[in-house]
Amino acid sequence: MNCEEARTQFVDYWRGTLEDPAGEFLAHLDSCERCHAEAQELRDLWGTLGALPEEDPSLDMRVRFYDSLRAWRQREGERRKGLWWVRHPVFQATAAAAILVIGIATGYFFRGRDTSEVSQLRGEVYNMRQLVALSLLQQQNASDRLRGVNYAYRVEQSDPQVLSALLTTLDHDSNVNVRLAAVDAVRNFTDSPIGRKGLVQALAKQDSPLVQISILDQIVELREKSAVPAIQFLLSGPAVNPDVRQRAQWALKQLQ
Amino acid sequence: MQAVRDGDLGGLAILFERHHRPLFNYFVHVNGNRELSEDLVQDVFFRMLKYRKSYQPDRSFTAWMYQIARNAHVDSIGKRKFEVALGEREFSSGNKMDENLKRKQEITILKRAMSLLPLEKRELLVLSRYQNLKYEEIASILGCDVGAVKVRVYRAVRALGQIYFELAGEKAS
Repeated sequence: MNCEEARTQFVDYWRGTLEDPAGEFLAHLDSCERCHAEAQELRDLWGTLGALPEEDPSLDMRVRFYDSLRAWRQREGERRKGLWWVRHPVFQATAAAAILVIGIATGYFFRGRDTSEVSQLRGEVYNMRQLVALSLLQQQNASDRLRGVNYAYRVEQSDPQVLSALLTTLDHDSNVNVRLAAVDAVRNFTDSPIGRKGLVQALAKQDSPLVQISILDQIVELREKSAVPAIQFLLSGPAVNPDVRQRAQWALKQLQ
Repeated sequence: MQAVRDGDLGGLAILFERHHRPLFNYFVHVNGNRELSEDLVQDVFFRMLKYRKSYQPDRSFTAWMYQIARNAHVDSIGKRKFEVALGEREFSSGNKMDENLKRKQEITILKRAMSLLPLEKRELLVLSRYQNLKYEEIASILGCDVGAVKVRVYRAVRALGQIYFELAGEKAS
């Protein structure tokens, strides 16, 4: 143990609370004259410090304390009495009803403004989606065009610009996957005659059996009887895929 | 204190009876002014009422009380703007001449030395020696660990010793 460590134990030594089972502290005091002297000298001072006489407060202090306590309790009692009506159920029910009425009135007052603001925002978001869908459909990259087709689901069904872009994609896109996705997307627009007509016309322009079968399925689902000539024209072709032929014949039966 | 916290204001009277004397002595030894110390004791008990909801039963009540006492004392310094010199006052322990004159002289010098110590050291000695608080309680009041308390108390005693022996030397010469 060095001098610095020993000094942190001095107070315990003076207080009689020293824990020194190995006797390291006492051994240090025996070997270090300076620490020994300081410990003894300050130990006497510590003893004298404990012998400082205790002071007695005046009797007046007790009287003042009890007077103040009484006054405090009185004040507390009055304060609680003064606010009894706050805890009364009738007051609480009335307050709750008043808050409800104020809430409804405030909502009614601000309703008009909010609706116009929300519809304006909705319009802006819609325009943005339309723009994104249209621009993605014109990209060189097939995966971007696929994303464009998927964006088309987020615009309103009556949007003629997006429908026109989708039909163009269906007719002319070089990638089969994009055209297949476009067939599915056009399904959202089949409430409009342009959408139905576009789908039927696209049948003749397809060379991929997958897309042809997909369009045929949709025509059957829509019960689009105006498609019969187009299906017959497809069957009359020179090299029709056997699967497509089978599907077209089935479609004709369904429509008749 | 828990009863007081839960609304039993009468419990404060019991706490007052139990603690007002040590608390008064704490203030007297720290600021040296009896009148002010009585006011501060009063202040501490009413602060306890005011902040009773902040008392945590798992914490030492004594530590909580002395923490309030320290704050009350600091606030009083701010209000007074100066401290009353401890050495100037007369203690009630009296002027009676008796055979233990040497001991009385030592105590007088010690009081004077205490009054010349910086406030934080004086306060630490009052809490640890005079009020005999546990290290853990002092650590809780000061917001430090027990090891730091031991070192600080040692330093305070050493600083007191330097002043004390200097004054005792002057007196002897």
